[in-house]
Amino acid sequence: MHGFNSIAELSTALTSQRYLMDEGLATVVYLAIRLGKPLLVEGEPGVGKTELAKALASATGVPLIRLQCYEGIDVHQALYDWDYPRQLLQLRAGGHTPLYSEEFLLRRPLLEALAQPNAVLLIDELDRADDEFEAFLLEFLSDFQVTIPEIGVVRAPQPPIVIITSNRTRDLHEALKRRCLYHWIDHPDLQREVAIARARLPHVGQSLVDQICSFVQDLRWLDLYRSPGVGETLDWVQAFHELGHHQLDARTASSTLGTLLKERDDLERIRAGDLDAAVARSVQRAQEFRQRNYLR
Amino acid sequence: MRLGAPQSSPDQAVMLAAVKLARALREFGLSASVDAEHTFIRGLAEIDVRDRTQMYWTGHATFVHSPDQHPIFDAIFERFWEGRPLILEEAGSEHGESDARMQGSHHGGEALPQFGGEGKKKTAVDGDRNRGERDIPSAESEDGASHQERGVLAAWSDQEILSRRENLEYQEDELLALRLLAKEIKRQAPARRSRRAHASPAGHRFDVRQTVRSSLETDGEAFRLGFSAPTMRPRRLLFLCDVSGSMERYSRVLLASLGAAVGAARRAEAFVFATRLTRLTKSLDGRDLEQALDKARAAIPDWSGGTRIGYALSEFNSTYGRRGYARGAIVIVVSDGWDRGDPKILEDEVRRLQLQARRLVWINPRPMSVDQQPLAIGMRAAMPYIDDFVPGHDPRAVAGLAQLIGGLASDRPARRIVPARPTGP
Repeated sequence: MHGFNSIAELSTALTSQRYLMDEGLATVVYLAIRLGKPLLVEGEPGVGKTELAKALASATGVPLIRLQCYEGIDVHQALYDWDYPRQLLQLRAGGHTPLYSEEFLLRRPLLEALAQPNAVLLIDELDRADDEFEAFLLEFLSDFQVTIPEIGVVRAPQPPIVIITSNRTRDLHEALKRRCLYHWIDHPDLQREVAIARARLPHVGQSLVDQICSFVQDLRWLDLYRSPGVGETLDWVQAFHELGHHQLDARTASSTLGTLLKERDDLERIRAGDLDAAVARSVQRAQEFRQRNYLR
Repeated sequence: MRLGAPQSSPDQAVMLAAVKLARALREFGLSASVDAEHTFIRGLAEIDVRDRTQMYWTGHATFVHSPDQHPIFDAIFERFWEGRPLILEEAGSEHGESDARMQGSHHGGEALPQFGGEGKKKTAVDGDRNRGERDIPSAESEDGASHQERGVLAAWSDQEILSRRENLEYQEDELLALRLLAKEIKRQAPARRSRRAHASPAGHRFDVRQTVRSSLETDGEAFRLGFSAPTMRPRRLLFLCDVSGSMERYSRVLLASLGAAVGAARRAEAFVFATRLTRLTKSLDGRDLEQALDKARAAIPDWSGGTRIGYALSEFNSTYGRRGYARGAIVIVVSDGWDRGDPKILEDEVRRLQLQARRLVWINPRPMSVDQQPLAIGMRAAMPYIDDFVPGHDPRAVAGLAQLIGGLASDRPARRIVPARPTGP
């Protein structure tokens, strides 16, 4: 049962799953659960949209059902299909089970989510699917029921928690947005990013985490083609750790920068810049940051 | 002083405030439907309405549907929270009876000004401030640079200067021609294979589903084998059109053609640029072409300004491009390549654009040979990264565009790998 009685309770539950959210996101997720509305989250790649659904599922102890969208996805991949080979065998063997019964029904993610008494349904990257699929989803999301011609109406005993993510490669239909709560996830600020990194990588030294996070924070201010997400920050911390470094230094930074930045232009730009100064600045800022937090 | 006390319980005061907030948001172009209002009010019951953050995010989640609506919501919520009048008309009227502050204390919201009625505040809203607020949706209307460069670039435009808005009315026969163009583009648009398959006796993929279905009638004996073939769907067309001073004489028709294309191809996107980039797809989308063109014209802030193709493309690449608007699309740039910016930037951005696009087509209305004009510097910088270069195509020959699109190859062009940047001093 996914009952949270307050926003704080929800926050704590997700924190125990090492998913740290700011107050805004916590409020919206809480509302989505309480009001039984789907939650549409958008944001830059790597801010933890998909991770949210995963953390929510493990925090509430219910299965996560994931539907990855792509161009051309249709009912047979999203909702249900019939197990044709088995039907054919049954026909040839002269069995008596009706061919279009539950027994030969293959549940795809959406139907699975309706059948489960409790579930978190993640509809990932909906913007990749076609408009027709979105229209179909509309029906599903408003009533949490679907009609299978051969069987009848399937209704969820209790609507699942639905998280929809989109990278905004196209505008989703207004009608769909109206049915959802909406939230835009931003990159975390220094405080939060440090907290996330510490929670995720507890075995790594604190000063390294602080320094790398403040370096990444600076990078996000530059107008890069592809700003690093939290996932990449974690990778970079991990890279330093694996190489046996406990401090951020310009040489290792330069050689491992590919973990953080995935665009050639960005890489060249950072390497061509004054990396020493940037690293020194980050180290300095990390120290200030630590002192401030220590005093608090 | 407690006017109408029985019916205005504190909850009602909160509700009333919610409705007012929604109304104000609607006024500024957010789609705060009755549904959303309802959700908002239900949401308020779940949270602590005295907490600004929680209130803010509840409103945000229900009324805001995209990041660009964020600043509008912010501004209005700010006013709402401080209990200031949200809309001019509301400043001195109605709901005088629902001053929630007079009510009992069992609810959280009564002490807050935003849930109080506004009837007692008779102060008229300052005219200037109100005008300022109405400007919120188009915050960056300042653009001095675009006008300074105009003379230089428009110099060789010896013919009709059509950029003045009153001259842009379209005639009935022109609109007819555009509708024909739309039809033609629809017919001619390059296709891509979709993942979806449809039943087709001529197809090459064995279709189990169909075969089983048909063999049900014959007691499981598969007399007829079903086959399917992949469905073809129109490939996305992405137009990036130059409407700067040097392109002035084409702009009018160009815009109209864009309108036709967006109306025709279900997945067409239209952007125009001079000094900066404007997305027109939304303005152009609609049943009525004439209306759509009107809207689009109004949406272009730097009509006939100077050109900074590099910056405009950079803007595209780092916003829409990053989100995948150009992925797998046929990207059609219409520009003469006259660029006031740094050719290096232009080169970099065109290269980035090409890497995302299925094919990058550049239509240059300037014929290369006439008056032996050398290519514009910008054009020369962009050349190595263009898959199809179409020089001397006059966008005013409307019918030609459809033919051109129809003639474009849709397959992946052979590209040589170009080094990111020539290294050197």
